Amino acid sequence: MKTLLIKSVVSLSLILSLYALNIQTVMAHGEKALEPFIRMRTIQWYDVQWSKQKFTVNEEISVSGKFHVAEDWPVSVPKPDAAFLNISTPGPVLIRTERFLNGKPYVNSVALQPGGDYSFKVVLKGRLPGRYHIHPFFNLKDAGQVMGPGVWLEVSGNADDFRNEVKTINGEVINMETYGLSNGIFWHVFWGALAAAWLLWWVRRPLFIARYRMLQAGLEDELVTQQDKHIGKAILIGVPIFVLASNWMTISEYPKAIPLQAALDQILPLSAQVNAGMVDVDTLKAEYRIPERAMTFLVKINNRSDKPIQVGELAVANVRFLNKELAMPSQDNTDRMIAPDGLTLADATPIQPGEERTMTIIAKDALWESERLDGLIRDSDSRIGGLLFFYDGLVGERFISSITAAVIPKFN
Amino acid sequence: MSANLTKQIFRPYTGEKARITRAYDYLILVLALFLFIGSFHLHFALTVGDWDFWIDWKDRQWWPLVTPLMGITFPAAVQAVMWEKFRLPFGATLCVTALLIGTWITRVFAYHYWNYFPINMVLPATMLPGALVLDAILMLSNSLTITAIFGGAAFALLFYPSNWPILGMFHEPIEYGNGQLTVADLFGFQYIRTGMPEYLRIIERGTLRTYGQYAAPLAAFCSALLCSLMYTLWWYIGKWFATVRYLNKI
Repeated sequence: MKTLLIKSVVSLSLILSLYALNIQTVMAHGEKALEPFIRMRTIQWYDVQWSKQKFTVNEEISVSGKFHVAEDWPVSVPKPDAAFLNISTPGPVLIRTERFLNGKPYVNSVALQPGGDYSFKVVLKGRLPGRYHIHPFFNLKDAGQVMGPGVWLEVSGNADDFRNEVKTINGEVINMETYGLSNGIFWHVFWGALAAAWLLWWVRRPLFIARYRMLQAGLEDELVTQQDKHIGKAILIGVPIFVLASNWMTISEYPKAIPLQAALDQILPLSAQVNAGMVDVDTLKAEYRIPERAMTFLVKINNRSDKPIQVGELAVANVRFLNKELAMPSQDNTDRMIAPDGLTLADATPIQPGEERTMTIIAKDALWESERLDGLIRDSDSRIGGLLFFYDGLVGERFISSITAAVIPKFN
Repeated sequence: MSANLTKQIFRPYTGEKARITRAYDYLILVLALFLFIGSFHLHFALTVGDWDFWIDWKDRQWWPLVTPLMGITFPAAVQAVMWEKFRLPFGATLCVTALLIGTWITRVFAYHYWNYFPINMVLPATMLPGALVLDAILMLSNSLTITAIFGGAAFALLFYPSNWPILGMFHEPIEYGNGQLTVADLFGFQYIRTGMPEYLRIIERGTLRTYGQYAAPLAAFCSALLCSLMYTLWWYIGKWFATVRYLNKI
C-alpha cells in the first residue's frame, strides 16, 4: 500500500512538473511532414499574396496567387481528379466568402490537370479575434495536404460583432450563425421530454432486483400492467403519426428544398504560364551534396524568346533560392522561406535569344535541411521538381520553366 | 436467490431490503447512463461519424441508410438484457437518450467552444422517435422476431421524417458562386474545416441510385431491411455478453 502511494505521488509530481516547464505553443501545422517529393512535384505555388495581414472582425481580405500542377506528378500519388483549395485555420476563425479559380467562382472540389496553370483567389472574412498562422493549401484526394506559403494574420475587434447574413433564393435573409438553431433545439427538447417521460414511467418503480425476482417467480403479468400496455399502444400509434405529420408540415413549409449539392467543378487551365514555349529547360542531372546542403543541377537551356535572359530564382516546395546578382521585385508577400543568395550560376552571363546553353546551377542553403527537403534522398521516389524563373534583365519580363530530375546523393 | 421461487411463496422485499434494492437500482441506472453515454457515443462517432457531425453531410441516400443501421446496435443489445431479465422495455430509449446527451455535450463544448463551429452547423440527428416505437413494440409483442421485423423497420423508416423538421430549413436553396447550393452546403463552404475537404463527403454516391428522384424512401426501406437483421445480431450480442449471475448471489 505504501509503495503504491509513493508511486502515485511520484507519478502525479511528474505530471504536474510539466506545467512548470516553459512549453511553447505549437506554431506549425505539419507543413514539413509531407514527403518532399510530394511537396515539390504536385502543386507548385508562386506569386502568392495576401491583401492585408491586419484587419478586424467582419472585414474581408483575400489571398491570391498562382500554381502550376507538376507534369512529373509522382506515380505513388493519385492524380488530382478531386482537389479542394482550402485554408489552414485553427477552426473557422475566418470564414470563406468567395473563391475563384482562373477567375471563375466555384464552391465544391475541382479536377486539376497535370501540367496546367491556374490562378486563384480566396476571399476571407474575420470572425474571431486573434493571431493565426494561415496557409492556402490543396487537399488532394487520397494524397493529403500540399501547403502553400503562409502568413501571420491578426484579427482585431469583438467576436460578438461578427455578422454573416446570406439571402436564400426565396429572398429571405438568414443569419448563418443562428439559423435553424432554436428550431433544432426545440425538436431535440421535445423528443427528449417524451423519452424522459417514458424512462421515468419505469424508473419510478422498483427495477432490477425486485423485477428479476418477480420474473423468476412467474409474476411476469404484474411487471407489465394494462396501463403500461395502453401507453405502449399510444406510443406505437401516436409517435409515427406525429412524425409523419410534422414531416409533412415541414415539406409544406419548405417546398423548394433541394438535396445537398456535390457536383465536381470543371475549370480548364489557363493558357500556359509555365513552359510557355519561350524558354525550354531540360534537366540533365541533379546531385545533392549532403555536407554542403547544395543541390547541383546540370541543365540545358534554350532561349527561344527575343530577349536575353538570366536565371533569377529556383522555387521548390515553399523555398525560394534567389540569384543575388539579379534583384527582381518579389510578387510574393508571404512568410515563404527565402535563401537570398542561395542560387549560384556557373555562367552568369545572359543567355542570348536563340542561344542554347548547358550550364550548372547550384542551389545551396541550410533550408534544404531545415525544411526537410533533403529527406528526398531517403524517399522511394527521389525525384525533385520545381520552377525556374528567368528574367529579361532589361525590362524585367519573366519566363517560368519547370524542372524535374532524379536526385543523386553525394555523401562526402 | 429467487430462481426457484414460485408465485405461492414469493414475498416482495420490504423495509431495509427494499431500500437497499432501490439504492442498487439508482446505482446501476447512473452507471448505465454514463456507460452508454461514453460507449454508445464512441461507437456512433466511429461508425456514423461525419454523417452525424456535419449539417452538410446529412444527405438523402447514405445518411438515412447508415445512421439507423449503426444506431440500432446498442439499443438492441440493451433491450435484450433489460427485457429478458427484468421485463423493462426502455433499453432503446435509454441508449438513444444517453447517446444524445453525449452528442450534445461534445457538439457544444468540443465543436462550438473549442473549435468555434456554430452549433447549428453541427446539429445532431435524433433517433428517439424510433427508439420509443422500438421499446413499445417489444413490450407489446414480447417477441424478438416481431420486434426485429417491425421494430427494426420502424426504427429505420421513422429516422428521416423525424429529422426533416430539424433539417428541412437547411435545404433551402441559395444562389452562390454562379451555382445553386443548399444552406447546409454553404456552411461547409464558409466555415473552414482544414481536415474536411468537400470531396470527402459521400453524397448520393454509388450504385444505389434513385427511382424517380426519390432517394430518401429507397434508402430508408433498404435501411429497414438491414436494421431488422442488425437488430437480431445485436440482440444476441447483448444476450451473450450479459449475465445476472451476480444477482443470484444476493
